[in-house]
Amino acid sequence: MSQIQERGSTHVYKVNKISKEEMESMVTRCVYEEAPFCNAACPLKLDVRAMLKAAAAGDFKKALLLYEKAAPFPLIVSAGCEAPCEQKCRLAERGDAVAIRDIEAAVSRYGKQSRLGTIFRTRKKKSVAILGSGLFPLFLAGEIEKKAYPLSVFCEQEDPEGFLRSAAAFLDEEAFRTELSRLKGKDIEFAFDCRIDAAFLEEKRQAFDVVCVSEAVLDRLVPGAAVIGELMFCEEEKLVSCRGEGVMAAAFGAKKAALTVDRLAQNLDPRNMRGSEDPFESRLYTDLDEAQALTRVPRSGAAYTEAEAAEEAKRCIQCHCEECMKSCAYLKHYKKYPGLLAKEIYNNTQIIMGDHQLNKPMNACTLCGQCTVVCPNGFDMAQVCASARRNMVSTDKMPLAPHEFALMDMLFSNGDAFLSRKQPGQDACRYVFFPGCQASAVAPATVKAAYLDLCERVDGGVALMLGCCGAICDWAGRYEMQESTREFLLSELSKLGDPVIIAGCPTCRKELAELTEREVLGIWELLDEIGLPEGAKGLDRPAALHDACGARGDARTQETVRRLAEKLGVTLTETPYSGDRAPCCGYGGLTAYANPEVADEITQKALERSDAPYVSYCMACRDRFARQGRESRHLLELVYGTDAGSPPDISEKRWNRLTLKNELLQELWQEEPKEMKLNYELRYTDEARKLMDGRMILTDDVIAVMDAFRETGEAIEDEDGLLVARRRMGNATFWVKFSIEGENAYLVHRAWSHRMNVVKREG
Amino acid sequence: MAIEKNYYTIDPQGKLKCFKCGVPLIKGKAKFLYLDNGFPVELPVCPVCGFVYVPEELALGKVLSVEKALEDK
Repeated sequence: MSQIQERGSTHVYKVNKISKEEMESMVTRCVYEEAPFCNAACPLKLDVRAMLKAAAAGDFKKALLLYEKAAPFPLIVSAGCEAPCEQKCRLAERGDAVAIRDIEAAVSRYGKQSRLGTIFRTRKKKSVAILGSGLFPLFLAGEIEKKAYPLSVFCEQEDPEGFLRSAAAFLDEEAFRTELSRLKGKDIEFAFDCRIDAAFLEEKRQAFDVVCVSEAVLDRLVPGAAVIGELMFCEEEKLVSCRGEGVMAAAFGAKKAALTVDRLAQNLDPRNMRGSEDPFESRLYTDLDEAQALTRVPRSGAAYTEAEAAEEAKRCIQCHCEECMKSCAYLKHYKKYPGLLAKEIYNNTQIIMGDHQLNKPMNACTLCGQCTVVCPNGFDMAQVCASARRNMVSTDKMPLAPHEFALMDMLFSNGDAFLSRKQPGQDACRYVFFPGCQASAVAPATVKAAYLDLCERVDGGVALMLGCCGAICDWAGRYEMQESTREFLLSELSKLGDPVIIAGCPTCRKELAELTEREVLGIWELLDEIGLPEGAKGLDRPAALHDACGARGDARTQETVRRLAEKLGVTLTETPYSGDRAPCCGYGGLTAYANPEVADEITQKALERSDAPYVSYCMACRDRFARQGRESRHLLELVYGTDAGSPPDISEKRWNRLTLKNELLQELWQEEPKEMKLNYELRYTDEARKLMDGRMILTDDVIAVMDAFRETGEAIEDEDGLLVARRRMGNATFWVKFSIEGENAYLVHRAWSHRMNVVKREG
Repeated sequence: MAIEKNYYTIDPQGKLKCFKCGVPLIKGKAKFLYLDNGFPVELPVCPVCGFVYVPEELALGKVLSVEKALEDK
């Protein structure tokens, strides 16, 4: 049998570049990291969502810390906040928006101040002065102090109380005292009773790196001075100032002014590198069905109590988009949202030297396309992983080990087990039945019954082709193998006179339609047209229909299959995530080979949707579900009254394909198949058979080892008197532990393999 | 004399026998080769025919983990 060349070396130091545009175009589709609507609407950039989460958990200290990050004087800001966030709250679409402003007020009132931020402070070198008083100078002082500049405030008032009162006389006494103590706790140097005139200003200009003035001071000393609103900067006078009235204008102005101060202190143009400052429209998607409490918690007094605020905060649904992660077990397994995972997988392909740590996640995606359907922006993880796999193959950095078994299986399907014949007695055939490799492997009797039925009831002759459509190498990213498979299948089809393909599997149908660039029929469509054969019978209890990922976006197939199920008398129960939104069974993308653990999680997730027996129309799905112990039937088994029974192991899957081929060759075409009998007896303990299935060791591999042993006599005898023989085949060495049971009989106890080659070393 | 590096050592301690040659295996020099990398080891070897034995625990333990590490290089 043919072999697949292992990559030559780990010392490959080239990559095939992925353009930044290609990466960005995909990565930015994911909105997971987008700000929630409330955050985006807040000019002060308050993390409303996080604050509400902390408040809902009763952690008002943390909530206050978050609020103080955006508003250095929270009681003043909350008193004057116009709450643009509430207008954007998505809950308003179903009921009341969260009472964010009232919660803010409660957080400001009940939250304990944290002293953490001021304990270890390294002051910056450049110094800043603020001249004047009022809301803007107060907020600006708070912002600049946060940035750790040595700050001096010069005002005309006689003490801090006067300075604060000039800004926020509207506060009630308790709030005023709280904010006063907050102001006094800040690292600000105050000079009171100042007479601020032109000479004073000039003096401070000389003494400080950046000078900021209140609007009143600016108008008094530089009448008619123009202030650039975007920067809060009077360029001619090199003074930072603000125009505008009210708490919000002053608070937002102070944010912008503080950034300008930051830029000026570093001798940089204040226009550049400012990032996004203004409120914006968020692209986030939120599933509003998660919303439960739609009415506001009422206030018992003028303001929320701590408990009321926490209760109201609990109504926040914490807007976030996890549509794909909710439905896909693969994304859930890696606990990463697809934007990030895709970026890491792209980066993985660009590593010149070192470990490719994302190989495993890259090879664990089933490429089923469910994420693209459930994502509000059509994020396509399959495309990311498939192109990354091809990229790694192109630079010879793709390990063969995760996919070798599947690829060898494909070569077997299109080699020893391949069969292509015209219908007996027909010179030309209008159709060719292509059941697919898994159908012959899992349910050979069903394939045979289907073919005989098609021969009998379809006019124009039906040829048969047992083989693999090439999906395996497509999924593995082995584009060169895909090309040779394409050429092989095209040439075989041409020998049959290029008949219309009747696919038995939705994935084969898709692959073969792309390969031949012609329309390919599904056997379900033909059966819908010609009617069911005699004896076709559904299940006597309701079943869940599992849509195959190969039929995603193929409404005709999905409808036809449902119609067939109805004709069969199968009562279908509704399942979440059906039709285009169906999850993969775990076979797609070769996940079952590359990462059996994730594949099992995917299968379980698919089975979570219903307790009923599963009916599917892809044999791989049927097999995966049966392996998890669920009653699982392929639609064709019901149509032809066959039952493939319990799932075959990997060796039986090969055996089934070979025997089906031989049986058909003998019965339909009267050809003698190749002798498959061994000239010695080989038995296996149950444990050996189980081990072999888990370790992907075939009975054929064991036979090859035993053949070598019989030829050379080379083996080791261990302490227990058991023999161990080995043989290097392809890219692996296989070991078999056995006992001799009579003259020509052996009992296999264990088997293992490794890919490293071991040789004797001299010296 | 330079100290020779071995990544792994198994001494058969006379418990294994070569079926073909009928002699006990000894601790001998061997080398694992994979993807253009080589690792000197000491494994049970037949002193007559040179059969190198890789026990199951080694194949599925150390060898497998090194294989995986190299595959992702």
